[in-house]
Amino acid sequence: MQLFSQDIMVHQLTTHSFQQLDPLTVRRLERLGIRPGSQLTVIRQYPFHGPVILQVDQQQIALRYPVFQALIGGA
Amino acid sequence: MATIALLGNPNTGKTTLFNELTDKYAYVGNWTGVTVEKKMGQLTDSETMVVDLPGIYSLNPLTKDEAVATDYLLTGHPDLILNVTNAGQLKRNLLLTIELLESGIPVVLALNMLDDLQQSPFLFDLPTLAEWLHCQVKGTNARSKQGIAALHANLLQSLDHSAVSPALTLPYPEPVAHAIDATTQALQATHPELPRDFTRWLIIQYMAQNQTIRDYAQRQQLTALTHQTAAFDQQNFEDHIFQTRLTFIEQTLQAARRPNPAMQPNQLTQRIDRWVTHPLLGIPIFIGIFWLMFKLSFDWIGTPASNLLNAWLSGPVTATANHLLSSWGTLPFLQSLLVNGILDGVGGVLTFVPQIFVLFACISALEDSGYMARAALVTDRLMQMIGLNGKSFIPLIIGFGCNVTGVMATRTIEQPKERLVTILISPFMSCSARLPIYSLFVAAFFSRHQAVIVLSLYFLGIVVALVMAKIYQLAFRLKRSSTFMIELPKYHVPRLDIILQGTWDKGKGFVKKAGTVIFAGTVLIWLLSNLSWHGPVTDIDQSLAATLGKLLLPLFIPLGVRSWEVVSALLTGVMAKEIITASMIVLFHLTGRTALVATFSGLFTPLSAYCLLVFILLYIPCFSTLATIKAETGSTKWMVYSAGSSFVIAYGLAVLIYQVGSLFL
Ligand SMILES: Nc1nc2c(ncn2[C@@H]2O[C@H](COP(=O)(O)OP(=O)(O)OP(=O)(O)O)[C@@H](O)[C@H]2O)c(=O)[nH]1
Repeated sequence: MQLFSQDIMVHQLTTHSFQQLDPLTVRRLERLGIRPGSQLTVIRQYPFHGPVILQVDQQQIALRYPVFQALIGGA
Repeated sequence: MATIALLGNPNTGKTTLFNELTDKYAYVGNWTGVTVEKKMGQLTDSETMVVDLPGIYSLNPLTKDEAVATDYLLTGHPDLILNVTNAGQLKRNLLLTIELLESGIPVVLALNMLDDLQQSPFLFDLPTLAEWLHCQVKGTNARSKQGIAALHANLLQSLDHSAVSPALTLPYPEPVAHAIDATTQALQATHPELPRDFTRWLIIQYMAQNQTIRDYAQRQQLTALTHQTAAFDQQNFEDHIFQTRLTFIEQTLQAARRPNPAMQPNQLTQRIDRWVTHPLLGIPIFIGIFWLMFKLSFDWIGTPASNLLNAWLSGPVTATANHLLSSWGTLPFLQSLLVNGILDGVGGVLTFVPQIFVLFACISALEDSGYMARAALVTDRLMQMIGLNGKSFIPLIIGFGCNVTGVMATRTIEQPKERLVTILISPFMSCSARLPIYSLFVAAFFSRHQAVIVLSLYFLGIVVALVMAKIYQLAFRLKRSSTFMIELPKYHVPRLDIILQGTWDKGKGFVKKAGTVIFAGTVLIWLLSNLSWHGPVTDIDQSLAATLGKLLLPLFIPLGVRSWEVVSALLTGVMAKEIITASMIVLFHLTGRTALVATFSGLFTPLSAYCLLVFILLYIPCFSTLATIKAETGSTKWMVYSAGSSFVIAYGLAVLIYQVGSLFL
């Protein structure tokens, strides 16, 4: 059952500045409680740059990989 | 008469609370965007009206349904706001609360979903919250009806003392505070009729770049505001305001937070999501769930129940009606209208109630469980390829119930073009009204694989929708958007009462239609089939329906249709798709479904039957859907386009399948 045990890789991250994101996306993230400096827990990451499931303040949120990348400061 | 407005973040339980507090029921679902239009009800045991508004994260709208809420605050003049929050996510929910408190309209804050909070390491002290926020705070668990009575009493009480509570004033930093004061004075000078709190609130919203408020100020010519736009924006007031609010929220929560001695962590959501959102298994599980839904509706429960109902209606009920009418000496013409027209036609459609209700019960259970958001997640990849996102998938699934609600549910989509595309492809979703006709043909020609054939039509609808979306993506030059974001709510074990209510809510429209549109359509087609230009006819071949059907028949021969009755039935189907079935029953002069099935085997081959179903699946949306498309796009052009394009697609595809199929079969 390798397949099912390795995919849930919980790790904590802190968001960086949101400069790479457009203002609309930033506003949308703010509404979901994600701001620069927020603590995120990555719950699940889909392969091949698919969606990412995050946990912020007890709430799970799914978003697309490029936004996730921008959040954690990678390009 | 006093009015209470229900406001809060999406999926916090507003609609559930609304239903508990009022005598009227509204639609509930465990995903964002269930309430797309405001709903009104009367507070139990009082004269007070309660308005349920769409869920919003802030008063600054990003989507069309969010704008409904802000507009309502500007124009609806509620006496009291009931702000519903998810107690487990207060930090985020309070951002909206502050915006509401600043308005000066009295607010009662409901911390809903207390049961979810119990599972977390912290609780909140309600009196402390009330003290910090200057408003009444009540804890509720709407799902298990806890705290409702206290909230109800509190609402009535608050309405009585509404004048006393002052608006919340936050300590905004110097430049902002100064600008607020100066602008308030300027505005009060030019517009003394505006209440002071409301003026302050307008200014703060204006500074925070709320587009609805900016448009409002423009319309009302509030020049004290409109002339300062650039100054506000250059000094980054929006940011300052946001930061101040956030700091205030953190301080408030810090003061009110208490450790939870009886924390009971609940692993249900995690356990289910281990499988359901699995990268590889997510899609197969999604398909499996839908397969199960169709099996239940068509093979296991729906169809057998339908058959029983049909046997009863076309047997004893028809015989009794005939017997009674004859013994009363009813005119033959009238008796035929009543029995062969209305009873057979409307009754024929009503026999599909079990299948439709089972399907709706499944959709309601999925909605209440929290699965829909996961469906959006696992389908996001697919939707991304056609320029849409997973959120577009939800309106499409709702379209399976009824295309009208599907089109309305697109309001949660932020990008106008994505929304338009979703509206245009929604009618390809096979709504419940088309089910009766599928069931008929499937019973006649594919009795051994009923669920599979019906499922194939549903999938064909989806495929056509996706292909069209891709074409629109290219035509409208939709950018590949990266803005898919969706909350994954906690799972709930679906509750029977909520499922039943949801099923009835979705299904009652179908039953009601049987009494109105289908009834009217049946009478119309009966008249058409019994009248000619020169008066009543006994030979249906001379009737108006026949004349019309025969005129258009050549057009349908390429897709394997050989009888004018079918063509006439298709024409009436534009009124409402259910009428196709009723019309066929009337036109073929049959008693119920069993006889119709026998007649069909002489007129169709399995191939031509399937092609006809494909045509019915895709051709012109019904009148109500067209009207909704017009209302939602605000343009007659798109409505006409939708009707025209779907006819062309339906015709093209049905002819193609028939012609290619004929080569092999
Ligand atoms: N656990 C729990 N669930 C609740 C509670 N109140 C409502 N729910 C559930 O939360 C889900 C969302 O409820 P709705 O009433 O549709 O929420 P809403 O705020 O009206 O949603 P939108 O109209 O989309 O903004 C449903 O599945 C409810 O059964 C509660 O107190 N506790």
